[in-house]
Amino acid sequence: MQYSYNRLQTYFKETLPSPEILADKITFHSSEIEELIPLGSDTILDIKILPDKSAWLMSHRGMAREIANILQIPMENDPFLVEPNLVQSDKIQIELQSPNCDFYSSSLIEGVKIESSPAWLKNQLEVIGQRSINNIVDATNYIMFGLGQPLHAFDADKLANENGVYKITVRQAALGEEITVLTGETYKLDQDDAVIVDAVSGNLIGIAGVKGGQVAAVDAKTKNILLESAHFDRVAVRKTAKRLKLQTDAAKRFENGISRKVAAIAMGELVKKVIELGGGSVSAQSFSGEFSESRKAVTCSIEKLNSVLGLNLESGDVEKILQSFGAEASSVVDGEIKLTPSFERDDLIIAEDLIEDIGRIYGFLQIKSIVPTKEKVQKFNQRFFYAEKIRQALIGLGFSEIYTSSFRNQDKVKLENALASDKQFLRSTLTQNLIEARQHNIPHRDLLGLSGVKIFEIGNVFDIKDEEFRIALGVQSGTTYKAKTDEPLLVVALEGIKTTLGQEPELLYNQEGVVEFSLDKLISKLPATEAYETLVTYESNQYRTFSLFPAISRDIAMWVPEATEVQTILALLQENSGSECALISHLDTFTKEGKTSHAFRLVFQAPDRTLRDTEVEAVMDQIYLKVAVAGFEVR
Amino acid sequence: MKEQAGHKHLMSQMIAEINDIFAEIGFVFAEGPEREKITFNFDALNVPKDHPSRDMQDTFYLENDPEMVMRTHTSPVQIRYMKENQLPIKMICPGKVFRNEATDATHEAQFFQLEGLMVGKEVSMGHLKGTIEYFFSKFFNGEVEVRFRPSFFPFVEPGVEVDMMIKKNEQNKLSGRWIEIMGAGMVHPNVLQGVGIDAEVYQGFAFGMGIDRLAVLKYGVDDIRLMYNGDLRFVNQF
Repeated sequence: MQYSYNRLQTYFKETLPSPEILADKITFHSSEIEELIPLGSDTILDIKILPDKSAWLMSHRGMAREIANILQIPMENDPFLVEPNLVQSDKIQIELQSPNCDFYSSSLIEGVKIESSPAWLKNQLEVIGQRSINNIVDATNYIMFGLGQPLHAFDADKLANENGVYKITVRQAALGEEITVLTGETYKLDQDDAVIVDAVSGNLIGIAGVKGGQVAAVDAKTKNILLESAHFDRVAVRKTAKRLKLQTDAAKRFENGISRKVAAIAMGELVKKVIELGGGSVSAQSFSGEFSESRKAVTCSIEKLNSVLGLNLESGDVEKILQSFGAEASSVVDGEIKLTPSFERDDLIIAEDLIEDIGRIYGFLQIKSIVPTKEKVQKFNQRFFYAEKIRQALIGLGFSEIYTSSFRNQDKVKLENALASDKQFLRSTLTQNLIEARQHNIPHRDLLGLSGVKIFEIGNVFDIKDEEFRIALGVQSGTTYKAKTDEPLLVVALEGIKTTLGQEPELLYNQEGVVEFSLDKLISKLPATEAYETLVTYESNQYRTFSLFPAISRDIAMWVPEATEVQTILALLQENSGSECALISHLDTFTKEGKTSHAFRLVFQAPDRTLRDTEVEAVMDQIYLKVAVAGFEVR
Repeated sequence: MKEQAGHKHLMSQMIAEINDIFAEIGFVFAEGPEREKITFNFDALNVPKDHPSRDMQDTFYLENDPEMVMRTHTSPVQIRYMKENQLPIKMICPGKVFRNEATDATHEAQFFQLEGLMVGKEVSMGHLKGTIEYFFSKFFNGEVEVRFRPSFFPFVEPGVEVDMMIKKNEQNKLSGRWIEIMGAGMVHPNVLQGVGIDAEVYQGFAFGMGIDRLAVLKYGVDDIRLMYNGDLRFVNQF
């Protein structure tokens, strides 16, 4: 949520520290600051409020309370300390028929003048990213961002009345019942949604806790308004907002479980603000339901507090923190902390809740590290141990390991909410992904200096119910022919695994250069290990971005005098192959009649485009020339 | 052409290194299924149904299996491990997890997480800090300091975000600045009680982080999707 620094300041007599310092304090004692935005004479603090604190922290008053606690300074104006004073009048009859509403209050204000808001209010809303609409609607938003309570204003003259009596009912919607909301969209409701109804006309005037209806919208001609401040069930509002895809500021606050007492307090604040901005006077007020809250005391010993936090706090430290806590009551007696939370705090229930709050106010930065001690592992992971052994064996045989997606376009188990049509199923084998990866890598063989593609994957596959740990291996040494079933490279690899483990795997798949088998089955036949092998570390390279454009290969063979070093020829080739030569590999060598033949493969690739054959030909021509100058004979 | 040795995937290399570091201090390498019971993925971890905390992770559900999800984190392995093992507990679980969110260079619908759990009679946030510092110092080859900021994860209380800083060193671009690295906290008593551990007597810490993020930091991988597309132009660099 976006908070205005200037508005936070209004809750304090003392001058707050600079926005930067304040942001730092909030970061280390409360919540994550997403951004600090200087805006004219104000600064906006964009703060990420997480679900445990959102019932009471998603408002300027809530954040001010938190700041008072962190900085240990008193709040100057705390509207939550004022007991609500609502009256009952016969002119508004409220009936709560829905189980999703336990408190509803309404005030009739007559004779208001709809105007655009004064500059300070416009600014207050605009800085926190809200659009100013008119003085009345702005008043409801201003109070909502102040206290956290969603509020609504209806045009009273668009509601029907019975001899001057307004009748508001909160009930469950009928299946298929429709409502057009303020912004013009029409929604189809069902029995799980609660609605606000003008009981005289029967019109639906709002989706409870989510959005107001268009039928009673305040407009430029509005003179009399009926204000709503109510409390709706968090789960019900959440379900409705989710199903209708209407995640409004109001719905968010209800689903986070704001206290119902705030609704009663906010009504008083709203009436004052509306009259201040639009004139008029209260001609009736009513409420139905209960707004009181009762919070139970939470207790925790200082011993437990220290044992969890790894700190050494004393009674005095804790007392000092509790002083500015804003709790209804708190004490520290004989090492026992007891705290009755203020009514809006729904998150202080068990000792650990208290430990967290005292801990973060004191500061998690104070926690000292306890260095772990060397200790023998009690249990060894067989799957990991043997998978590692297999990896080592295969890598030694030139196989590289890949990881691929657990999703396929077609298979046995379907996802309910897939991201893409080609990722709708869980893989039931590794083979399909491996075949695709093999195909994908064939064109890169020269670039990677490989004679063929030899890959494997170790991972889980999914049957209707079961999940299995498997391995698949795939090879292909040429591009033009299909890999054979009895591909000799695979025979060697399987032999290697058998030698390493002393067990032969049962192949589940063996076709066209790909085999797959279950590691779960194979490992179950192997003895349990009682030690991990020494970690084999690899050269710790930094990742280098690679070109996604195709590479072009050219081979060159030449006769050279027998004594010529390969390095000499390589240096000559490197010098003349240009910046786009990605790799030069030495292919073969043989000696005949006092002369030696060397063959090399040069791979060309540009970082930013597809190379043309003619470009490569030009480089090769240059190389042929230089090779000849060096006295070598191109074959 | 001379045949070269193959390459162990960077993820496998990192997991082996992680295990090596944690095995030294007695942490067991645990595992669990990737398709997990909803109750283990959420309920047992103190994430109630119809609660905003369930929205913190976008979940893949299965069409004909309303009781299962693709696990959104490795935390359900905490539940499985605590149910099946004796106290005290020290375990890690590196494993694949799934999130139903749009992919880009820093987000994949599937990636790897590392879970850590230690439960005993006197395990505190001091142990958490010490263990994490020990791990990062070894993993990043340099003295590492960590700090905690308040945060929220339903299965821990207190919950913290962890930042780390590698001691300033000219050779290491990562050094000398705070880096946000993972979430952690003290195991929520509801989680302990749910698996039959007396939360009055035992307490513990848990942490979770993305292993892919470690690859980004340590190896400069600029697009984590490369880890899972089977391209040897990536794999063979390591």
